[in-house]
Amino acid sequence: MSHAGSYGPQEPVDVFLMQHPEVIVRDIAAARGRAKLQFRMLFVLTWLILVGGLVLAILSTGRIDFEFLGKWGPFILGGIPITIVVSVLSIFFAVIFAVLGALGRLSRISPVYATATLYVSLVRGTPLIVQVFFVYSALPEFGIVLPAFVAGVFALSFNYGAYMTEIFRAGIQAVPRGQVEAAQALGMTEAQVMRRIVLPQAVRIVIPAIGNEFIAMIKDSALVSFVGLQELFWRARTVGSANFQNFSTLMLAALIYWMLTIVFSLVQERLEKRMAEGEVRQ
Amino acid sequence: MSLRGRLSLLGVSAVLFAACSSGGGATTAPSIGPSVAPSAAGPRESALASVAPVAGGLLEKIAKAGKLVVSTDPKYPPQSELKPDGTFEGFDIDVATEIAKRMGVTVEFQTPDWSAITAGAWGGRWDVSVGSMTITVDRLKVLDFSPPYYYTPAQMAASTKSGITTLDGLAGKTICSGEATTYDQWLNGKLDYGTGQDLGKPPAGIKTTTLPTDTDCADQWKAGRFDFDGWLTSQTVVDGAIKAGIPLVKVGDPVYYEPLAVAVDKGGPDDSDFLPLLKTIVDDMHADGTLAAMSQKWFGADFTIDTSK
Repeated sequence: MSHAGSYGPQEPVDVFLMQHPEVIVRDIAAARGRAKLQFRMLFVLTWLILVGGLVLAILSTGRIDFEFLGKWGPFILGGIPITIVVSVLSIFFAVIFAVLGALGRLSRISPVYATATLYVSLVRGTPLIVQVFFVYSALPEFGIVLPAFVAGVFALSFNYGAYMTEIFRAGIQAVPRGQVEAAQALGMTEAQVMRRIVLPQAVRIVIPAIGNEFIAMIKDSALVSFVGLQELFWRARTVGSANFQNFSTLMLAALIYWMLTIVFSLVQERLEKRMAEGEVRQ
Repeated sequence: MSLRGRLSLLGVSAVLFAACSSGGGATTAPSIGPSVAPSAAGPRESALASVAPVAGGLLEKIAKAGKLVVSTDPKYPPQSELKPDGTFEGFDIDVATEIAKRMGVTVEFQTPDWSAITAGAWGGRWDVSVGSMTITVDRLKVLDFSPPYYYTPAQMAASTKSGITTLDGLAGKTICSGEATTYDQWLNGKLDYGTGQDLGKPPAGIKTTTLPTDTDCADQWKAGRFDFDGWLTSQTVVDGAIKAGIPLVKVGDPVYYEPLAVAVDKGGPDDSDFLPLLKTIVDDMHADGTLAAMSQKWFGADFTIDTSK
């Protein structure tokens, strides 16, 4: 690469550079910028080619019935708010289960520790679809009849709560020991230390992980279609089955789920950056 | 609760009150919905009069709610399917609506999985299934049934790709049906109505497979998957698939006929007061031609004639 244009016309290049080191820095920055731009352009181009190819492959089957989707699209899309409401409520209650579970897992009282450990083991050791079935169809045998919506949200949050228990436990343990000791030195009780010092800092640590769980929850919420909740997947599946159009409706549902997770991933990225602000050197 | 809700609740209370009083009082009770055909009014009211609502029973629950909650599987046209506005239509939907109307209450639909309906233990989430359910010995263990409201032929079909055109041609082949359906039971030689009726035998040496609902079988052929050559379901569903352009043909005459009825959860609220009323309503709907007209409307044929005789 020639520097001829950038430097003084008469001086030899190496003398010029020795006298003006900031030019080297500028040049390196410019080259890095170019490489970054090239990387991004190639990224976009690759996506366009791959996604375009995928769309073409799907369309070339001739099985996507646009007239049908035009007629039923609004009904299927009407499942999106239900999917989001189920996911948001489920992640909210999952956090509550997870905090309780994590405190139990860190407890020095044996029965509490045992209960929390059993909860995590049992829930993580059985398929989510079986748990949905249990809450909806088996609990009535014990005289507990939850409405479909409550049953669906309960099954999802109970399940995710167990996975997130470990996330919260790690988050609580990641709060530096010195923080606890300092709080104890100030005369706080154990409960006060937990509530005022440890949990607020643990929440900041686990929030990015909760975001990840939420994105997974959006997709797993399709499982509550079993109980007849008319969310996105139920609508796509029911309309598709009744009219022999499963291909069209499931492709539409897949596209919507994908879009939803992209949107929430962006939100999650911003949140993660914000939460990390204290850790990043400006 | 809306004013209309209150009024219908009052109406039902009046029905129940009439039911408690003597038969003579019931005939003049102004409690039955205005849409009821006069010809049907007589026998039903006398039936009502003979039925005392049980405390905590199903009839009391329905009366209190002012609505009949019905389970339906809208993946099963033309019996039950969704409209783009989210409401339902179909033969079963019409039948359920008419039953509720004759009881003087509104109707509401729930859409649980079909296998959750046939398994019983509904936990009171819905009151009845008006879902073209066949009365079988196994289901009688967990469900109570009304008299059949219609009878559909069970029809064998084959993919056009298989080239099969006769029932014998299906011997040794794999046949698909919906999960928890009587078609799957029949294919495995396990279907029993408990009436001693001979239902015939499936083709020799067949293998069976199931998918979540009947129409899924035909949808596999449409998508280009040919793991199985045959499909057994209701003739009405096969007709719907042919109309939708699925590459399949009917194979042979109907293999057997199914008595289809309204089902009630045995493990739910006491239905000893509800069942006689339900029987009267279904009998009336047969007698006054309501069911035959609905069958003509949705199937283009009268499927309400008893086929077991």
